[in-house]
Parts: sequence; structure tokens; C-alpha cells
Amino acid sequence: MSQSTVYYLSGLGILFVINLVAVWGLDLHFGFAGVNSFAFIVFQAVGAYITGVFSLSRANTPVTFETYILGVHWPWPLALLLGGIAGAVLAVPVGWIAVRRLRGDYQAMAMLVLALIANSLIAAETGWFNGATGLESVPQPFGNLNVSLYDYHWVFLALAAVCGIVSWWIARGIARSPLGRSMRALRESESALAALGRDPNRLRTIALVAGGFLGGLSGGLLIQYVQAWGPASWLYAETFLFFTAIIIGGRGNLLGTALGTLLVPIGIVEVTRELPQFGYPGEFADFQWVAIGALMLVFLWFRPHGLIPERRRVFRPGGDDASSGQEASARALARGSQR
Amino acid sequence: MTIVLFGLYSAALYAIGGVGFTLQFGVTNVLNLAYGSLITSSIFVEYYLTGHSTNLWLAMLVGGAAGTVLSFVVGFVVVGAFVRRGAAGFSIAMVTIGISLMIQYTLEAIQGPVVNAYASSNRSTLLSVAGVNLDSQQVTAILVAVVLMVVVHLVLRLTKLGLAMRATADDVSLTRVSGVSPARVRALAWLVSGALCGVCGVLLGIGIGTFDAAIGNDFFITAAAAAIAGGVGKPYGAMLGALVVGIITQASSAIISPAFSSISAWVLLVAFLILRPQGIFATYAAEREIVA
Repeated sequence: MSQSTVYYLSGLGILFVINLVAVWGLDLHFGFAGVNSFAFIVFQAVGAYITGVFSLSRANTPVTFETYILGVHWPWPLALLLGGIAGAVLAVPVGWIAVRRLRGDYQAMAMLVLALIANSLIAAETGWFNGATGLESVPQPFGNLNVSLYDYHWVFLALAAVCGIVSWWIARGIARSPLGRSMRALRESESALAALGRDPNRLRTIALVAGGFLGGLSGGLLIQYVQAWGPASWLYAETFLFFTAIIIGGRGNLLGTALGTLLVPIGIVEVTRELPQFGYPGEFADFQWVAIGALMLVFLWFRPHGLIPERRRVFRPGGDDASSGQEASARALARGSQR
Repeated sequence: MTIVLFGLYSAALYAIGGVGFTLQFGVTNVLNLAYGSLITSSIFVEYYLTGHSTNLWLAMLVGGAAGTVLSFVVGFVVVGAFVRRGAAGFSIAMVTIGISLMIQYTLEAIQGPVVNAYASSNRSTLLSVAGVNLDSQQVTAILVAVVLMVVVHLVLRLTKLGLAMRATADDVSLTRVSGVSPARVRALAWLVSGALCGVCGVLLGIGIGTFDAAIGNDFFITAAAAAIAGGVGKPYGAMLGALVVGIITQASSAIISPAFSSISAWVLLVAFLILRPQGIFATYAAEREIVA
């Protein structure tokens, strides 16, 4: 393989891991706890902004015309961690919406509008994160490492992989624990869970905070990789990229959502950039979005439980009937039994 | 005074869009997040079909027809197919978002890298109140909104169709045993909603003078704020909500900054969704399980 091919592939690997961290975060919200987190992109955005302003130096406004808060130039691991924590902290106010006993579609709409408000507000307020222009020239991790551009990709891929493993550890830890079991029960029937003496709001908040941390972490990684972040990077539609990945891969299943990430944000959005482009700049991206919308509908119709469905966990004397379990979960998803 | 008059003009558009949205939601119980993209499609059809005509009457005819057809196809045919399969709540929100993405980005591909603009029409001042000038287009929009609201009122109150619509919105099974086909009423609700959405779309597009593939989305969320504040499924509530939202958007644009014109309405929407999803006048919200 030529050097440029290797460079391209390692870059794809980095983007795959970053997207995967975000998708697992959303899967904790939506796949496990059943929260319709239509504002998920805001968690990624906050993580990116916070990591950005903690690793940038103070803005030299008269020279660069940039204005942003902080600019304390802290070491990058600390900035990255703070990005994740910012996502987790944001989950608390967002949780106020999630814990209200709202109909599923109302909750979804409230979240969606929240994402719109956040984006417009940050674009309008130039003093916070440099308004509509956004942050740029964010220092990269190991920036003083004297390696070629090609080798640096491997360094970053290793860093991203570490974050990916941490995320896997968090998500899998929750998924396998009694906590995760309660979350899935919450998703299927809140009243049944409450009748068993569990506190639905506490569970929802835990899921939101853990997922928010992963969302923030992915944002921090993203800004450290691409070195820039502005309101145009996190339009509300981006959330549905992650949702499509989850629906296609298989909701509530970490392996399935990883496959979904490989197919949607990487397969449809990134890899197709190599195809011969046509039309004006941006026309190709339009068709990508049309394809994503169509995929979402096709999967919701034909295979609502995704390519790798969540394994149905049943406790039933006489064995585990997996096939009927699959159908039941598919029906449950189609019904939108979660709220 | 400027705020009140331009607020009235904004309210006229929000009322048409909001009533169309809320009427359909009340009857079909489907939260149509693709409504904004239907508004945009109506403008696009009008723009390309009439050769950029700014004749409002022709535009409303073409745009209204386009909205009617598209709303029927999207709502009754596609979303309806999912509903008949038993999908509800979140799944339906997802389906309408998927449709919305498909429509919006198809239109963006059609539009190309330029912003579509109408030739500047003759926009002489028609009415001057207390030093504020309204042009003929704005006055027409307000009048059209008033007429449409009266028509909606009369249809809902005086015709059998209106009775069937209100009955379906209240209780589907009772309506069915009374010999009314809910499917037919739902189809009609999608058609009427589409017509209102198309009319409001062209008034918006021609009013601003330029448009792109995203114009309907922001507008829809603001119109939805009017509908939800007034109580979902209640056309009269939406009319009142439109007035409130129209004034709020104009006031915050004038007092804070233009960037806050939509933001303030959206904050209102989120506040209502969280704190009082049944709207200002709570009557049958509990039975409709808005608060689950």
C-alpha cells in the first residue's frame, strides 16, 4: 500500500473510534434507558468547546479577532477529560426534560428544539466560543512530538483507541451490570420497574450522565484531531447520523452499534468521499443525507431491531426462545413502547 | 407600534402554519416533524412551476395545491403505513425526521449553491399606521390569515366534516361507532393541513424575497411554538398562540438582537413542552395522554 493509502486508512480508523465513542454514548441514552436524546449532538459540541478553550492559549483579540472564554492552555489530557466531564455535567439539566413524564414524541421534540437553541445561541454569542466562526488552531496532543504527518496519525489512533477502550469498559460495565438490566427494564416498562421498587428518574439520570460523558469525550477527541470546531460542525441533523447508526446496527447492542458506526458515519459519510464527485461542492453531501434518511425509514420498516439485534434476556423456566424474543423486541421498538 | 404591527404580520404567518400543524396533530395524533420541509417544498414548487411569479394569488393556489398533495403522500400514505403497523410515539418522530431529511436535502440538491430569490416585486406602501409602513404583500398576508381562520372556524363549527374532525380528535372509537370512517377524516386532515402549510409557505417565501432549503424548518419550529402554547390539536389555541409568538419574536428581535427573534420563541416552546404540554387551556389533555 502506498503511504497515502495508509494515511487515509489510519485517518478513517481515528474517525471510526471517535464516532463509536459518541454512538455508544447515545446508545446508553436511547438504547438502554430509552431516552429520546434528540439533542445528543450538544453533548459532543460541549465536550469539543470545553476541550478547546482549556487547551487554547488566551485569545489575542486585537490580532486574531477571536474571542473565547478561558484559554488557559492546560495539558491536553486534562482538557480532554474536562471535555468529557462537561458532557456529563450537561446531562443533569437535560435530565430535567428526560425525567418529566412526557409522551415520547414530545420529549423528542423538546430535545430537538433544545439542540436548535443551543446552536443558535452559541453562534450569536461571540464572546463564549468565538460565535459563528468557532474555535480554530486547537493544539494537538503530543504536538511537540517530532514525527511526520503520516506517523502522527498512528499516534493519534493509539490515543483514540485508548479512549475507545475506556468507553467500551464504561458502556459494557453498565450493560452487563444489574444497573443496565434495570435500564432496559425502564425502557420497556417504566411502571413495571417502579412497581419493583426502582427509581426510574435516578436510572435515567445515571444513563444520561454516563452517555453525556462519552459524548463529551468524543467531542474532545474530535476537536483535538481536526483542530477546529464551530456551530456548523454540530447542526441538529448530525444527531440523526448517530441515531441511524444505532437503528441500523441494533439498539442496545454494543457490537451492533459498532457495526452501525462502521456502516453509516464511516461507510456512507467518509468512504464515499473517495467516489467521483459530481455537481457543485456540497451536492454530494446532500445525497448522503437523503440516503441516510432513506436508510432510517427502510430499517424502521423492514428491520427495526437492526442488523445485530439485542439479545433478548429472558428468565423463563424451560429455556430461552431467542427468535420469539427478537420479534417481541422488534414489535416493542415499532410500537415505541419506550418513552 | 412597530413591534405590534410587524408582530401582527408575523402572527398571520404563524397562525396559518400553526393551525395547519395543530389541526392535523389533533386529528391524527402524529407529531409531524416533517412539516417544515413540506413548507419548503411548497415554496420550491411554486417558485419553479410559476417561473418565480410573485403574484400572491397564483402563488397561494399553486403552493397550496403542492402542499396538499405532498402532505397527503407524506402523512397519509407513508407515515400512515407506519401507524397502521402499530408504530407510535418515538418511532413516528423518527420516521417524520427521516422524511424531513430526505426532502430537505433533495431540495438543497435541486437548489444548488445559490440562494433562490424572487424578482423584487412592486412593494409599495399600502398602509401606513402610526408611522409604520406595511406593504401590500404584508397587508394581503394578514387579510388572508384572517379569512382562512374564519373559514377554518366555520368548517369546524358548521359542517359535518368539521364535526367529524373534532369528534375524531376527541375520541376515535366513539367516532367510529357513530358511523364515521376515521381513515377518511384523517386523510382530510392531512389534506387541509397541507393546503394551509402550502399557503403559509409561499407567503413566507415571497414575503422574505429569498429562500433556501432550510427556510421551512426554523419557521416550523416557531409555528409549532404557537401551536403548543395554545394547546395541541386546538386551532383556536394556535391562533392565540400565533399572536403571542408573533409579538414575542418581534419584540426580542427589536429589544435584544435579531438573532434572538427565533430563539425566544423556541425557549417558549421548550418551556411549554416541559412545564405545560397541554397548553394554556387544559381541557382534554389528560385523556389524550399528552402527559403519559
